[in-house]
Amino acid sequence: MTAIADWIAFALERLPELWLRTGEHLLLTGVSTGAAIVAGIPLGICAARVRWLRSPLTGAVGILQTIPSLAMLAILLALLGRIGAVPAIIALTLYALLPIVRNTLAGLEGVSPEVVEAARGIGMTPGQRLRLVELPLALPVIVAGVRTAAVVSVGIATLSAFIGAGGLGDFINRGLALSNTDLILLGAIPAAVLALIVDGSIAALQWGASPRRSSATPLAAAVERVARPLAVASPLVLLLAGGVAYLASSGSLAGSPWSAAVGGGSTVRIGSKNFTEQLVLGELMAQLVEARTDLRVERRFNLGGTMICHGALVSGGIDLYAEYTGTALTAILERDGTSDADQAYETVAREYRERFAAQWLEPFGFDNTYAITVRRSDAEARNLRTVSDLVSVAASLRAGFTAEFSERPDGYAGLQEAYGLAFGEVRDLEPALMYQAIARGEVDVVAAFATDGRIAAFDLQPLEDDRGFFPPYQAAAVIRTAALQAHPELADVLGLLAGVVDDTTMQRLNYEVDEEGRTPADIARDFLEGRGLLEPDR
Amino acid sequence: MISLWHVTKAFDPTEPPAVDDVSFDVRRGETLVLLGSSGCGKTTLLKLMNGLLRPTSGRVEVDGEEVGSQDPISLRRSIGYVFQGIGLFPHMTVEENVGIVPRLLGRPPDERRLRAHELLRVVGLDPAAHAERYPEELSGGQQQRVGVARALGGDPECLLMDEPFGALDALTRDTLQQELIELREELQKTIVFVTHDIFEALTLADRIAVLHEGRLEQIGTGEELLRSPATDFVHRLFARPAEQLAAFGDVL
Repeated sequence: MTAIADWIAFALERLPELWLRTGEHLLLTGVSTGAAIVAGIPLGICAARVRWLRSPLTGAVGILQTIPSLAMLAILLALLGRIGAVPAIIALTLYALLPIVRNTLAGLEGVSPEVVEAARGIGMTPGQRLRLVELPLALPVIVAGVRTAAVVSVGIATLSAFIGAGGLGDFINRGLALSNTDLILLGAIPAAVLALIVDGSIAALQWGASPRRSSATPLAAAVERVARPLAVASPLVLLLAGGVAYLASSGSLAGSPWSAAVGGGSTVRIGSKNFTEQLVLGELMAQLVEARTDLRVERRFNLGGTMICHGALVSGGIDLYAEYTGTALTAILERDGTSDADQAYETVAREYRERFAAQWLEPFGFDNTYAITVRRSDAEARNLRTVSDLVSVAASLRAGFTAEFSERPDGYAGLQEAYGLAFGEVRDLEPALMYQAIARGEVDVVAAFATDGRIAAFDLQPLEDDRGFFPPYQAAAVIRTAALQAHPELADVLGLLAGVVDDTTMQRLNYEVDEEGRTPADIARDFLEGRGLLEPDR
Repeated sequence: MISLWHVTKAFDPTEPPAVDDVSFDVRRGETLVLLGSSGCGKTTLLKLMNGLLRPTSGRVEVDGEEVGSQDPISLRRSIGYVFQGIGLFPHMTVEENVGIVPRLLGRPPDERRLRAHELLRVVGLDPAAHAERYPEELSGGQQQRVGVARALGGDPECLLMDEPFGALDALTRDTLQQELIELREELQKTIVFVTHDIFEALTLADRIAVLHEGRLEQIGTGEELLRSPATDFVHRLFARPAEQLAAFGDVL
């Protein structure tokens, strides 16, 4: 019981943000379902009318449905070149098409042939037949499709947070990044409740709009006269409530993608990837800018990976985020890695300036390279010290890699080549779950982040990269040149972080978030205050 | 009023045609019954008359003009059609069903309403009790009265009725038949009435057209058909019920 009470207290503390995220969630769902209705019903009508269109149309919307949600978001990000609400709404709209198109078709085909013949026989034009007879009679089936679409949208919209579109998924995403179950539930429970409410409100609309039967008693009829209009209006009221909740709470909270349009020139948008260190770095930069400039900061944290952050930076969806030299070199510039840290930094700084109109600021002072890591007990028992020591035993080991590590050229593929290494089994793991998985013995080897506080906390042993395979991963702020020109003070302010976060400091900050359950915002404030960085220069 | 010239309609070239070289006239103001067993082509003939179907060959004329050259929408609005399955619109009230053709013709709501109530009284339904109801709340007989009222909505000169009373019980059917006779006197409409029921045909018809396997066997008054059947089929068609009636008379 206390666990539940604690969680409720936790949720109440975050009530303003909960309203904001719920409002965003409703707007995402409402706008996309609306768009799917506007597009899907005509498509369904075409499929019903034009026989040869039927299979290709239903097939096409069916295929859309089979694209995994994250892949869909990534594809749209690549096509549109921007993050935020727009690609999320387009993705949700595409998913919502199938049930609406299919039910429109089924509804129209289900209209009794006698009634259709009567409509023709008394002289209705095809348009009148559709409008006056077929659509009204198909409506219950169509509305059932809309309900399905809306409920599915509420669920899928939780993934929109990956591309910075906000919504309740933001809590889930943050919870996953921080291994914080309370936060995950803060997104998941309201999302489930919202799904029920959305479903109920569309059901109410359907009841409210259905033909009135005259058999009701006078009292029931009087109640119905009041209740029906309310029921019909309920989905709209819900959407408006979402808008109001959003507007009322967005004033006090920055960082919603929906406010981007009114952001204006005095706002700087700071992004981050979806793991602890990135959130801490994001907070460090955000709080410093807030304390030492007049700029408003919009936090677009927890974006779903390097490509999404980079895409957002290039398209102006964000103004800056913290990137690692090795990542930029291999994953973005697609160059071969180098073991020379200075050379790596110079290369990415030059290439970014020329190709992406973005500047690398001075590194923070730590190198978060990948570290091939085993349990300390295994390291001692098998006498493992370097990655080369793994080669002879690799076939009997199970490796757990993040999806990104498995894919990147400076990840597993390159590692195999450089060391002649092949593990017996490779599993995909979420970054947040990787350390638990190895600690529990579910895997034997992980590619950990060198600055991760959990390496020490979980009694793990990083192995030395004796062939110098992993490029240096110095972290630094990357900022759009345009943003730097608009706000030249940013260079000086962010420059205060140069060289002040070394490997052990970063490990400690990460550890405090991951294992002591403190928020990145708290950690960042303590650190900045401790270094006296928040006080203005005299 | 309506003329058919050597009309043939084949749905499938490999099958015998549904209507095979049929010619006759429907005279203004008469009630012509198309009589035949199921599959004889009588419903097909009705649909050819208001352009729901096009003849494979031959001509169908309404008011001296070929159906194919008329605008099918305004033609259908000017011909009342009562459907075999009634075909009332289940999502519309009785009033809305009856007022549908005036609505299609762009009449204002008040006028539609008055017209619908007037027509409901014509078919023997009290508007106060029935206008706001939905078809599913009515009995079969009431539904078919609404069907007739709807067919009269555009004040057509001609009514096409496709076995309108086929699904009703004998008593209701008898009542509706009598009402239709009265209605006909009152409204002076031309009626083409399809049935497979010989007694219904004899009760309602000024003239009867007997159809068999898509061909017109004979057309004439009931008396002519009974006294001088033109074909063996017509003879047999009436002989058997006549025997039954005679036997029934003997018992009485």
